Amino acid sequence: MTEQNLKRVRKKRRLAFLADLYAVLMYTLFYIPVAVMIVFSFNDAKRNYSWEGFTTGWYGKLFSFSNTTLWDALVYSLIIAVLATVISTVIGVLGGIGLKKFEFRTKKFINMMIYVPIIVPEIVLAVAMLIIFITVGIKMGMGTILIGHCTFCIPYAVVTIKGRISGDNETLEEASMDLGANRIQTFVRVTIPSIMPGIMSAAFLSFTLSIDDVVMSNMLAGASQSTLPVLILSLNRTGLSGDVNALTTVMIVCMVAGLLVQSLIRRLISKRRAKEGALLPQEEG
Amino acid sequence: MNRSSGTKKKKNRLPVLAQAGPVSVWMILFVTLPLLFIIYVSFMTRGTFGGIEYTFSTESYRTILDPMYFSVILKSLKVAAVTTILCLLFGYPLAYFIARKPPETASKLIMLLMIPFWTNGMMRLNAWMLFFQVNGPVNYVLTHLGIVEKPVMFLYTDWLVNIGLFTNMLPFAVLPMYSSIEKLQKSLLEASSDLGADPVRTFLKVTLPLTFPGIFSAIILTFIPALGTYTVTDMLGGGKVLYIGNIIKNQFGTIRNWPLGAALSVLLLVITALLIFIYSRFAGIEDMEVV
Amino acid sequence: MKKAMAKGLALLMGLSVLAGAASLPVYAEETELNIYMWGDYISDDLIAGFEEANGCKVNLSFMSDNADAINKLTAGAGSDYDLIMTCDAYMESLINGGYLEELDTSKVPNAEANLNKAYWTDDIHNYCVPYLMNYIYVVYNTETCPLDEITCYNDLIKPELAGQIGSVDGARNLFPIALVALGYDPNSTNEDEIAEAYEWLTKYNENVVAYGSTEQNMVSGAISVMFTYDGNTAWAMDQMGEDNPLVIAPFTEDPVQLGIDLYVMPKGAQHQELAYKFLDYICDAEVMAANLVEFPYSCPNDAAIEAASDEYKNGPAFDFDYKTNIFFQEDVGDALPVYDQYYQMLKVG
Repeated sequence: MTEQNLKRVRKKRRLAFLADLYAVLMYTLFYIPVAVMIVFSFNDAKRNYSWEGFTTGWYGKLFSFSNTTLWDALVYSLIIAVLATVISTVIGVLGGIGLKKFEFRTKKFINMMIYVPIIVPEIVLAVAMLIIFITVGIKMGMGTILIGHCTFCIPYAVVTIKGRISGDNETLEEASMDLGANRIQTFVRVTIPSIMPGIMSAAFLSFTLSIDDVVMSNMLAGASQSTLPVLILSLNRTGLSGDVNALTTVMIVCMVAGLLVQSLIRRLISKRRAKEGALLPQEEG
Repeated sequence: MNRSSGTKKKKNRLPVLAQAGPVSVWMILFVTLPLLFIIYVSFMTRGTFGGIEYTFSTESYRTILDPMYFSVILKSLKVAAVTTILCLLFGYPLAYFIARKPPETASKLIMLLMIPFWTNGMMRLNAWMLFFQVNGPVNYVLTHLGIVEKPVMFLYTDWLVNIGLFTNMLPFAVLPMYSSIEKLQKSLLEASSDLGADPVRTFLKVTLPLTFPGIFSAIILTFIPALGTYTVTDMLGGGKVLYIGNIIKNQFGTIRNWPLGAALSVLLLVITALLIFIYSRFAGIEDMEVV
Repeated sequence: MKKAMAKGLALLMGLSVLAGAASLPVYAEETELNIYMWGDYISDDLIAGFEEANGCKVNLSFMSDNADAINKLTAGAGSDYDLIMTCDAYMESLINGGYLEELDTSKVPNAEANLNKAYWTDDIHNYCVPYLMNYIYVVYNTETCPLDEITCYNDLIKPELAGQIGSVDGARNLFPIALVALGYDPNSTNEDEIAEAYEWLTKYNENVVAYGSTEQNMVSGAISVMFTYDGNTAWAMDQMGEDNPLVIAPFTEDPVQLGIDLYVMPKGAQHQELAYKFLDYICDAEVMAANLVEFPYSCPNDAAIEAASDEYKNGPAFDFDYKTNIFFQEDVGDALPVYDQYYQMLKVG
């Protein structure tokens, strides 16, 4: 190894260290509010204005039989968020590809419309939708909330997907078709995998937007149930109590645990695969 | 996309319909229609008892000619610009970092980035308050280490507002940039550096231009939402300054002046469309079929 | 290719079915009561008691702002609900706009017997039943407040209080105190008076640290004076302990704003009989007294206060002697945009 190579390796290592440090700092910044929320779920005070002492009482309250309001709201929010994510991602991915790949008469118009839900304040769109739905005779409920959520999730999905596609995809697709695959095969086997990170981003964005939405969920809600963010905002009139923090903590713990379990399973599977198929070429990713 | 469009697409409309159809139908039904209604409402009269009185009036538009709205919009633009710049500056390296990881790690890192956002937005803001308030942990540490004598009033300062906006918007910048950087073939970069280009030049000449679509998406997804934001500035800024988002919200809230709220939204729409138009022309992005 | 097309179609159909299914009306014979109100504002036990007594299910959904209820009503979505909570300030508009059912008050005998008519005034009597109330008054911390005493709104604009005040927000909460301080009607519709109030508020604004989060800022020590609701003060006092340094400002002449949270029945409500039963149920002295244990707020139900615990009666946040020197927020009609204009000027600078 030459002197120069050594230097380069060293430099690379230093850079990698700096990059790691940067990432750790950024993630720390991100998790400060989460940490505070978790800590304050153990706060011995009726309202979370400041730290008063340690208690696990809020978890008792959260898991007591009578306390169904928060759980009902959480379940309702989750159902809506999952449905909204699926619908928006499917429509958004198809749309993102379609709007990028094809030429058609209304394309410019649709491309403009995509930006409208991002630009126009949500309350304005929500009130307009509410009035239109009432005029048409649609009853408010989960369906209308879903429509509202998808309306602002789809644009985010489309924009994300469009940022992902470029000429490369077209070349790949043409190659695939030349090799005899039909359009659907090409779409499923070539197009989709090649933009997978984009699809993942779109789905994450949609879920995130939906699970935390207040305005649409409020305006377009029916009489039977409120979503969690609406409930929390409503509770906030006189300050939040610790059970909401406890619920948040439980949610976060579940998600992180899920993440760990998933990676554990993956590791197990890949280990077994490595054992069984030592002769077969390994597939990555 | 431009090369091949003319020839084969004319024959078969089905793929177009299948892919662009759903999004088009959705946009027309749930965006265009409400938008037309909003424009219609902006030319109506405020109902004395709330709602709208359906008589034609341009009063709302005469109201927004007031220079006050001009300064409100300028302020909002400034906040949005600062947020966007922060998100790009800190978000791009993070997106790059994540994209260079193996796919499995990357997806986990993205997940980790999103998890805080699956908690309640208002509670996150409240957590920032608790963290920085006069008797909060930061001040506790500072005073006990003797760095400051009296607790520092971090709340309601501009930089706390900026932190709030930045952390609220960053994932919307990182995700599109990540998916666009990830796409870059590693080999391409290696080829460039093997050809003797130094990293900085590789970045400027290869990486940056090739990830431009992602950056553009990131700008759209941070700048525009930040333009209409008000929760962060209200809670972390103390609500002493009104932004365009506040004013529009109030028209649909306590003030019950829907036509004015609608007119302000139309104004916001026009301004943003104009900005996107200028920006995409200026940056010469061919695939921004915005206008 | 047809497959993809079919998929797209199926998706759209699925969507519309989904929307349709969620919107199918599922009315049963008055076994459901839909109430739209604030979260954590009525006792679970009270609701359970009512459900048991009447063999029905009460669906509570929650508003994040008073304006939500108003928007739903004015947009025409009121009939989804049987009872909606709103506040007295909106009543005139709602009545004149024809958004409410006129109540047959003979069906709510408990309300007639127990509610104090000073709060259930004639002009709103036939359209609502008051539930709880809130004063917006001034509270200060005797240990940290630079002034020895605050006895009127004009004290709030003294330069000594610079950077000391936490305040509630909103044009219709801020302008009345300025108008009172200037000796005008708190619900003035005179633009000159509103303009003068704006001048007053610019000085007030200079002293204000933040709008909103008043109790939190008081407890953490960021402010020493707050202009806020009595209910929130109760939580702050509770958290600062028995011998807390918070004092309700001993106002001598200036009236304070009293807001009343009340139930209205939207036009076209589906389960009116059950709604009447509910309204009557919550006005029962014992039921409301039990509710006050959990939600110790000001209450217009005299009999319930009588029956309430000593702890409630001695609540420090409600212990002030100008409870009857009050004003209500009234509908200012077309002057509302004028207020808004000056409110915006105040905050845009």
